[in-house]
Amino acid sequence: MKKNIKLVLFIPLIIGATGCANLGVEPWERDLLAKDEMSLNASPIDVALDDHIYFSKEASSGGKGFGGGGCGCN
Amino acid sequence: MKTKTKTKTEKTNIKAALTLATAALLGTSNLAQANTVSTDSAQESTWEFDSAFLFYSEVDRVSAGEAIFNAKKTFANDEILNLKLTVDALTGASASGAVAQPEVQTFTRPSGKGQYDIAAGEVPLDDTFQDTRVQLNAQWTQPIAPNYTASGGVHISKEYDYLSLGINGNLAFDFDRKNSTFSAGFSFFQDTFTPEGGIPKPFSSMLIGDSSSPTWDNDFTETRIGSEDTKTTIDILLGFTQVINRRMITQFNYSYSMVDGYLTDPFKIISVVNGSTGLTQDNIYESRPDSRVKQSIYAQSLYHFDSTVLDVSYRYMWDDWEITSHTLDTRFRIPLGDSFGTESYIQPHFRFYQQSAAEFYQPFLIDGDALPTYASADYRIGEMTTFTVGLKYGLLVNNGHDLSFRLEYYRQTPTDAGFDEPGALQEVDLYPTIDAIIAQITYSF
Amino acid sequence: MQHLLKQLSFFVFSLFIIIIFSNNAYAQEKAQEKIEHEKISSQVALVQELDKHKGEVVYLDFWASWCGPCRKSFPWMNKIELEYKKQGFSVISVNLDTDKDLATKFLNEMPASFPVIYDPKGKIAKHFKIQGMPSSMLIGRDGKIKFRHTGFFTKKISLYQLEIQQLLAIK
Repeated sequence: MKKNIKLVLFIPLIIGATGCANLGVEPWERDLLAKDEMSLNASPIDVALDDHIYFSKEASSGGKGFGGGGCGCN
Repeated sequence: MKTKTKTKTEKTNIKAALTLATAALLGTSNLAQANTVSTDSAQESTWEFDSAFLFYSEVDRVSAGEAIFNAKKTFANDEILNLKLTVDALTGASASGAVAQPEVQTFTRPSGKGQYDIAAGEVPLDDTFQDTRVQLNAQWTQPIAPNYTASGGVHISKEYDYLSLGINGNLAFDFDRKNSTFSAGFSFFQDTFTPEGGIPKPFSSMLIGDSSSPTWDNDFTETRIGSEDTKTTIDILLGFTQVINRRMITQFNYSYSMVDGYLTDPFKIISVVNGSTGLTQDNIYESRPDSRVKQSIYAQSLYHFDSTVLDVSYRYMWDDWEITSHTLDTRFRIPLGDSFGTESYIQPHFRFYQQSAAEFYQPFLIDGDALPTYASADYRIGEMTTFTVGLKYGLLVNNGHDLSFRLEYYRQTPTDAGFDEPGALQEVDLYPTIDAIIAQITYSF
Repeated sequence: MQHLLKQLSFFVFSLFIIIIFSNNAYAQEKAQEKIEHEKISSQVALVQELDKHKGEVVYLDFWASWCGPCRKSFPWMNKIELEYKKQGFSVISVNLDTDKDLATKFLNEMPASFPVIYDPKGKIAKHFKIQGMPSSMLIGRDGKIKFRHTGFFTKKISLYQLEIQQLLAIK
């Protein structure tokens, strides 16, 4: 069961890694990615407040990341 | 005579585990934030402020209010300073871990200063929890070389009986025209817990009697093994972000967390019941292992349709307490255009969570059975399913400032992990569902 | 419940894989339809503008409305256009917004004293193999590219200006 779930999660990663050369955009094609709502951590205040609630009421926490995305400028 | 004194300094476990800040801290390092355009970014360095207030309330149980003030300054050379102040206050009742019974039950407050009664058939809740917590975070982020961004920060959090100190650091490396990013981060927390009433002796019986009697203080101290204890948390996070196409970005993370020290909840008890009648014979303090190793894998995707944005994430967690969990979280942002407020939007939200019970989780113990090495009846490490549905509405006011409102419904459903219920326990609710409302208002300027 | 969740996870990720592949195919089709029309307008416009400034040092800048550092570079580009103009220097910019309205909105808030050539399909950017946003190139009086920069850094302004002065000195 645990194995199956891990496989599901890593299928896109494997596809992504093998097909990596085709993924991505040119630096000038990041107009949508530059938007706030396309940030991987959009609404960090909401996320921080929610994480506090769920950490207090459930047994899991964290795992979320940082870095990457956005306009890719500089 | 039984006295019911309400002491303002009682603690609740909701805030006992402040190491959540790890997640918050690593999540707010904002490595990509230097690049988003704001209307006044013409200046060399700019301040952006966010203020938010959240209200959380469970039906007949705990209520909490939390306020956050965040100040972010972006400097000329793409360096960012982020300062955050959080204040939260908690009040209300939490489950103590004891089981409901067909008769009235009496329990002693965690401080030892007083008793409280629970009506027949009711789930025992301890309602002396009131506390205020203040937290400060400071985070510094800057490019250290082309395509390398580093960030570091500190955390301090204090409430009446709990102190948490933490540091974090992380590094991100961009490649392939910044379409791909590798990131690595760590955090370290040292917490000190000085609970009211001291640290109880694991599996000792809860002393029930008259707390105003002259022998009470001595007897109560007998059940204690110290006044404070500590806990250390180390977290490591590895991440990979990939831009898929103009409309889509994904992220995959792996995290490893080690907690060592006092992980028991000093306010939680377990009922020891008769194997055939199901009637409580004794209530004993719980005991958890002194270490926990958690791992998780996390995947998130964001997709921009013509005007809407879909955010979906999934996390799978597993640890050496044998807890496994699935978290599915999704948000869908729908711009409304100007007829509902300048650049307004609504964002429905749905979250589904499921966890399996810890290996030492027991809703109750059977009198006469050998005591296990560890045991806890805390439903928060038991088998449970939760879901959250909510809606957020946002708009621009006052010359481009963001104002938003969020309202959510959170339902926690503990479930039976396969424990036979003897006698009277079949007549009571061992796994009560908990409903809560979450309301939040945020203003950014 | 666990079986349902497994099915749901499979569904969610299959959905995203389908989206990835279908979107790539669709984007390619659309690009081919418009290829002829765009090729003529933006690249020709740039050539025409460069011809006007033959024998001058040219600062060619690539920008977009959604790019923060681009916004920071505009006041400086206006400044150098004014300062070095009489020595035979010009700034020419190429806008890469897919939606021209966004570029117009940006220019209303941050006016440019230099010409803007619109390259919404990124043909010019692709030709020059732009590696990041913003990007700039310094073209010498002989019409050859002398310096290239990816990104705009305020702490490098003195370096940029040194390069301009160096190129202006060559007659």
